[in-house]
Amino acid sequence: MSKRFPKTKLQWLWENMEGKRFIFMLALLGTIVYNVLQLTVPFISSRLVDNFLTGADAAYNWANNRNFFFILLGIMVGATIFRTVVVYLDCMAYEHVSQSVLYRVRNFLYNKIQRQDMKFYSTYRTGDLMTRVTGDLDAVRHMVAWVIRVIIESFALYTSAMVYFFVMNWKLALCIMVLSPFIFAVIYMFRSKVRPMHAKLREKLAEMNTYAQENISGNRVVKAFAREEYEKDKFDKANTSYRDTNCETALVWVKFYPAIEGMASAMSIALLVIGGLFLIYSIGHPDNVQLTMGQFVAFSGLIWAIQNPMRMLGNIMNEFQRFSAAADKVMEIYYSEPEIVDAPDAIDHPGSFKGEVEFKNVSFMYSDGNLPVLKNISFTAKPGETVAIMGETGCGKTSLIHLIPRFYEPTGGEILIDGVNINRYKLEQLRKNIGLATQDVLLYSDTIEGNIAYGDPHITAEQVVKFARYSAASEFIAKMPEGYDTIVGERGVGLSGGQKQRISLARALAIEPSILILDDTTSAVDMETEKQIQDSLRHLEFPCTKIIIAQRISTTKFADKIIILQHGEITEEGSHEELIAKGGYYCELVKLQTGEA
Amino acid sequence: MARNTFRQDERLDEPFNFKHLLRASVYMKKYAGKMVFALIISALGGAIGLIAPRINQEALDVAIPNTDTRYLIELAIMLVGTIVISIILTTIRSRIMIKVSQGIIYDIRKDLFAHLQKLPFQYYDDRPHGKILIRVVNYVNSVSDMLSNGLINVILEIFNLIFIVAFMFSVDVQLALVVLCGVPVLAVFMLWIKNKQRKAWQAVSNKNSNLNAYLQENIVGARITQIFAREDYNAQVFAGLSSDCRNTWMTAVRYNNLVWPGIDTISVLVRAAIFLFGMVVFSTAEGGMKSVGVIVAISSYASRFWQPIMNLGNIFNNFINNIAYLERIFQTLDEPVTVDDAPDATEMPEIKGEVEFKNVDFSYEEGKPVLKNVSFKVKPGQSVALVGPTGAGKSTIVSLVSRFYNVGGGQVLIDGQDISKVTLHSLRSQMGIMLQDSFIFSGTIEDNIRYGKLDATMDEIRAASKIVCADAFISAMEDGYQSEVRERGTTLSQGQKQLISFARTLISDPKILVLDEATSSIDVQTERALQTGLNNMMKGRTTFIIAHRLSTIKNCDVIMYIDDGGIVETGTHEELLAKHGLYYHLYTSQMDEKGA
Repeated sequence: MSKRFPKTKLQWLWENMEGKRFIFMLALLGTIVYNVLQLTVPFISSRLVDNFLTGADAAYNWANNRNFFFILLGIMVGATIFRTVVVYLDCMAYEHVSQSVLYRVRNFLYNKIQRQDMKFYSTYRTGDLMTRVTGDLDAVRHMVAWVIRVIIESFALYTSAMVYFFVMNWKLALCIMVLSPFIFAVIYMFRSKVRPMHAKLREKLAEMNTYAQENISGNRVVKAFAREEYEKDKFDKANTSYRDTNCETALVWVKFYPAIEGMASAMSIALLVIGGLFLIYSIGHPDNVQLTMGQFVAFSGLIWAIQNPMRMLGNIMNEFQRFSAAADKVMEIYYSEPEIVDAPDAIDHPGSFKGEVEFKNVSFMYSDGNLPVLKNISFTAKPGETVAIMGETGCGKTSLIHLIPRFYEPTGGEILIDGVNINRYKLEQLRKNIGLATQDVLLYSDTIEGNIAYGDPHITAEQVVKFARYSAASEFIAKMPEGYDTIVGERGVGLSGGQKQRISLARALAIEPSILILDDTTSAVDMETEKQIQDSLRHLEFPCTKIIIAQRISTTKFADKIIILQHGEITEEGSHEELIAKGGYYCELVKLQTGEA
Repeated sequence: MARNTFRQDERLDEPFNFKHLLRASVYMKKYAGKMVFALIISALGGAIGLIAPRINQEALDVAIPNTDTRYLIELAIMLVGTIVISIILTTIRSRIMIKVSQGIIYDIRKDLFAHLQKLPFQYYDDRPHGKILIRVVNYVNSVSDMLSNGLINVILEIFNLIFIVAFMFSVDVQLALVVLCGVPVLAVFMLWIKNKQRKAWQAVSNKNSNLNAYLQENIVGARITQIFAREDYNAQVFAGLSSDCRNTWMTAVRYNNLVWPGIDTISVLVRAAIFLFGMVVFSTAEGGMKSVGVIVAISSYASRFWQPIMNLGNIFNNFINNIAYLERIFQTLDEPVTVDDAPDATEMPEIKGEVEFKNVDFSYEEGKPVLKNVSFKVKPGQSVALVGPTGAGKSTIVSLVSRFYNVGGGQVLIDGQDISKVTLHSLRSQMGIMLQDSFIFSGTIEDNIRYGKLDATMDEIRAASKIVCADAFISAMEDGYQSEVRERGTTLSQGQKQLISFARTLISDPKILVLDEATSSIDVQTERALQTGLNNMMKGRTTFIIAHRLSTIKNCDVIMYIDDGGIVETGTHEELLAKHGLYYHLYTSQMDEKGA
């Protein structure tokens, strides 16, 4: 189950504490300090009682040493206040460090996720990724903020109490301590039982998260099919199984609890029996005192400081396993590397491209597929040209254009821009030059202006309007009550399909790309509007090579070159007139769309 | 209502009150018996716990001074007995309470999810989905312990407190009052902290919600981020949100962490006061100090008095913290279900297919009418095409047929029956609606098609796929119908997703069919092949089609040209052409291509 990572989980935590390690060490020290103080305050108050109330010379001390009484009282109050201040600062220090780790790892993960290639996105589900960045990361935070503190606390209490016991009476201390190893053995057994449970629990949580997430995203389909009951049943299964796993996990602890609690309590019994026998022996042998009454009282007064850490061990182990299961998931993303990255010797090309796009014998196959999607594709789009790609559903059009911004790597051949293989450019510089309007329009819950300016958040409001005009969107946007400040819902749900497509087109144009790729971007736009769009695309004020996937002849007929793709191969290539003259698939299409009027 | 984005906090101005807890008691009621039982067991365990010090006392006072080894062993055996009983009781309580607390989470989550299913599109349209998700998953997890063990512990600690106070007063009234002097100080302290804490935790929940919203959108929209090379900018935005989370958290825990040290300080001051008053102040006032026994007893009670208070303080912390989540959960549960079954709703009988709009008005937002006084009537089995510019209201009209929204005025009738008077389920389960956005669920292709008819056989699925021309590409895939697809998977092209979604609609055997740009991403060749299947599908079914390709719709029985919130032209293809109006203009503009 546990995966191989370059670092162990604790090393990884330590690495992410960078800059906060000193504070963290101080916090650990603080924990020891306040736990030792916790043992001293009762000691002082017992001195108070002994010296001034119950002791043999209490009356004498009260009469003659009253200052000492006030001093002890003062120390008791002072030490407690000091301790509470330490506790407060210490807790805040842990919080500070844990939040810093959380902040750092969360940002790191986010960055990792958003830079992953498409293969990653077809592997991980949204709900699962969300679980990793939220729930799992919280378990990591909890580890730093709480679990480690409790470990140190238990250790400090146990050790200082044990030292105290050994100094006082090593024989009795030893008799009590022998029980500790047994508890460790039980805890170890507990660990092996609870470990798989936490991994399972985490899976169940991610599963439930995914169900809920998809249900929310797909709420329109659910309603369209009146599948609310079915969805409820499906969610109920996930919910039930999460509940049951939670119960199961908690019950593992309940099963071990009697053994651990029994052994911790056995320390009290050992103290009573062995301590009692020592006392009885000492009464019988005044010349060979094994244990004094005072020592016995001190032991029973402090035995909790030995017992509680033992009891806590189970809890600590439980939390540690939770952390471990979560950290596995977090680190999997943390150390994941996209396959598509900048070449080590990538060339620096900060400016615009001229815009020549060339495919040279390109083949492509999805890594999880078994059939080639593209076979031996070669064509060139010269700067400023428009190339239209047509073909049947599933023939590889979208796959082809996705190769240009390097969403995927071709399995054979090469793609050149301005004569240079695209894998020699820096990814960012390559993509900054490409404007892509995808088929499946994704808008963000933001204003329309924010959506159009997505690629370049610094463009002016006038420019936003200009690009909206290019994509024939300015008219309907202007009609909206809040115009460009209208917030569109997630995925642009408030808008019609055609409206979304036009905003997406404006967004692609707004970065003034040297290569514009439109993936069937006007499919839901009416003919009239489409004409306007085509017209403005032909008269863009910046140089731009256009690669357009389209179904409509109206979109393609003005293209400099039309490519027909069938089953991943180019079967026809030429201008509108040339292809009509050829009488092939394209000619059929033209007839189909217009001829039967 | 204004839409919400990841940048905005969702405001919730409500004073803190325990009303939410009271409301939560609905969820506890179901487990009342178990919880009372657990409470009794815990109390019993507590009482038995009191025996142990007595046994130790007996050993010290009697067995050891008398060197009575036998009695010592007997006492030890008694101690073992109390420990065993207490372990048994604790185990029982744990077993019960695990079930109870997990049961409560389960119930709340189930209700929340069920309510979400009833909420209208509007709810989902108005806020980022990540903000809805965090409530269902993360928030519900947080509140469980408070509602189960938290409550029991409060009761136990309060009992504990009452006992100790009673004991103290029975020992010495004056000193007991000294101990209680700490309580008003504590009360003021807690009140001060409470207000700060509540605001602080609300802020935490808001910031987490914002972060979740941003995260979800960006995972879904990763492709867009990458194509615009906006990673660095997004990372900054995310770091900003992340930093908000950190800062609000640090403020909130500051108050949390003050509670314990605060109580601790007050408690030690009180103990010092006992010594001081017991030995100094009262001794001068009344001649002779308090007896040794009294001071020792009160001082030991005092420390036991503060223990439950500290525990209560901790529980209180938890309450304040979790109420910020609880109120969000209830807020969602209170979200009005605007489209719901009427109280006297009847089942929609089997639909014949007559659809009538009578003076229908509609607007998504107040004062911005989308449809104005729309009236039309469609006979059973007729096919109706809606054409017109984008944003004219075509999708809105078909959404109203399945009552995705309530009409603002007028009526929508199916077979003469006002659809607001029938149950939503009986209405929608007879309709087949294909939306522009063909959403695919994670799972196999088979599962996705079966969504339309849960008990469909494999043969039916294959048959439906054949009709919509999807069988060929599905069968060509390595795992065929068993191929796993993802919500935003790349394995399927947009056109293929539409075909699957087509099959899904077809298999549901709808009485009324609504195709909203259902074929926009399908190439013309495939669409043509699809047409035959579609024609079969439309036979005997009332069909509404929205499409831009006029070749798709010209054979429809009725064509309605929609613009500006109303029907501008109605008629058959030929009639409308003869009219030389808007449709004619639209059609000829498309046909211009022929000449090119």
